Amino acid sequence: MTAINLTPPSANPQTHTERGDLHRPAALTPTVDVSSLIDTTNGVVDRAIFTNREIYEQELRRVFAPSWLFLGHVSQLTKKGDFFTTYMGEDPVIVSMDQDKKIQAFLNSCRHRGARVCRADAGNTKAFSCTYHGWAFDLQGKLQNVPNEAGYNEKFDREAWGLVPVAQLDTYRGLIFATWNPKAPPLPEALGDMAWYMDAMLNRDPEGTEVVGGVMKWVLKGNWKLAAEQFATDWYHVNMSHASALMVLSPTGKGPVSGIANTPGRQYVDPQGHGAGFPTHPKSRFDAQAVHEHYDYDALRDRLGAARVEGPMTTGHATVFPNFSYLPVNGSIRIWHPKGPDEMEVWAWTLLDKSMPPEVKEAQRLYNLRTFGPSGIFESDDGENWSEVQAISHGFITNNTPLNYQMGLGSERHDGVYPGTTSELYSDAAGRSFYARWADLMNTPAWHEETE
Amino acid sequence: MTTGIKIAEVGDVDDGEGIRIDKAATGTEDDIALFSAAGRYYALNDTCTHEKASLADGWVEDGAVECPLHVGKFCLRTGEVLSMPANESTVAHRVEVQGEDIILYPGETPSEETE
Repeated sequence: MTAINLTPPSANPQTHTERGDLHRPAALTPTVDVSSLIDTTNGVVDRAIFTNREIYEQELRRVFAPSWLFLGHVSQLTKKGDFFTTYMGEDPVIVSMDQDKKIQAFLNSCRHRGARVCRADAGNTKAFSCTYHGWAFDLQGKLQNVPNEAGYNEKFDREAWGLVPVAQLDTYRGLIFATWNPKAPPLPEALGDMAWYMDAMLNRDPEGTEVVGGVMKWVLKGNWKLAAEQFATDWYHVNMSHASALMVLSPTGKGPVSGIANTPGRQYVDPQGHGAGFPTHPKSRFDAQAVHEHYDYDALRDRLGAARVEGPMTTGHATVFPNFSYLPVNGSIRIWHPKGPDEMEVWAWTLLDKSMPPEVKEAQRLYNLRTFGPSGIFESDDGENWSEVQAISHGFITNNTPLNYQMGLGSERHDGVYPGTTSELYSDAAGRSFYARWADLMNTPAWHEETE
Repeated sequence: MTTGIKIAEVGDVDDGEGIRIDKAATGTEDDIALFSAAGRYYALNDTCTHEKASLADGWVEDGAVECPLHVGKFCLRTGEVLSMPANESTVAHRVEVQGEDIILYPGETPSEETE
């Protein structure tokens, strides 16, 4: 029998003074074996994984808690005391820049009675004080002051009651990631070959990237996996779902020419659940004119290699498992925050190359908003699809009717051009891999689970 | 009339900010929080009367300083407590600008004309 022991995943495990004799009974955290809900060999998926509450709660502790998760961009923090708040799974988190300008991340929940100690989206502060009883925490999450501390006995140790820190925090070319899991592999290992594909967006400019315009946030009906999976694996929907947007954007008003509309391309299939798809037609680059003219593609070929410029730097899509996704041409990075089995919150940023001239930055910012902002002409197509899928998925017969992920079955191979395993552009291969990784994590006890 | 002590120079404190002067330098019972607000200087005992927090780290607004930890508020000129959870006033000291020097008169009550 396994029980859950939510020892804070910090370097200092909880002492008896913090946990007392508490022990959470295993019955509170039932575990579902999901191996019969995902069949990657035959390419079918059981819809219960999008609707079931027990599965969702198991995801929070076995998929989100142990994985590296995206927090934000380093350009959101520039001076000491800067902070922003976000979520890791459903856990509220403060990300701050401390006195030494080091990035810190910790749980946004007071250790006394559990209220959030910061309710702002972002700002600058000297301390995080709980508005309930006044426990005050410094920029590293350490407990700095307890009103009426004399009321506690001599065993009370302020050191023991700081905000729960993440176990590991690291950045990859400006992107901040963290995990609660002290045993997670280092970030570079967790990204693996995916980093090569990410560099098509993050390493175009020697000066790196920045985010502008704040974080755009909106709520959607739909399980978070519908969005994460689509960005990993689904070019297939483009010509159908986005038909009207493609008509509007085409210079002729008749939509893209056949060679571009039916572009060749590849799909990267990562064993750790990441995925990326990209056309390889040289003109399949649905970008803003000013941005297109800004880039020196020959210089980029020298910098990143032709395969990357003609591949993942085109109009591609990608997901870093589990819930960080991006679009290199649109300058969109986003996270799909889970909010129960039926709802997600989309948090999206506009990402720009730092050395772009101001007018190019502005053109790219507007292009991102027009295409993939909260009311973007592509974004609204996608959100509508996910919400439509979710809206009917609790029907009994509906929920028991499996979904088809069979496109490109057996097509995965090393193609000699792109790192790792790739499939065709039009394929469900990265989706199958996404769910294989998901099922593997769901069926593996996480670091916080101990065998009795 | 006590002797004045030079505690800072004009320009050491940004407008709307405070700095902490160690009691070893002032001979006072507590550190001194020196504030600059709207072109005038103010000095208060630095430790909040509510809990252990440095008022010099606080937020200066509308002639008052708000404690950075629990948002108790004190009048910059008189030290009078203006907001819970603090409920005891703090001590205000007279400060004067003489040329480029900022002079503290520990224990002297600031006048209306405090510079």
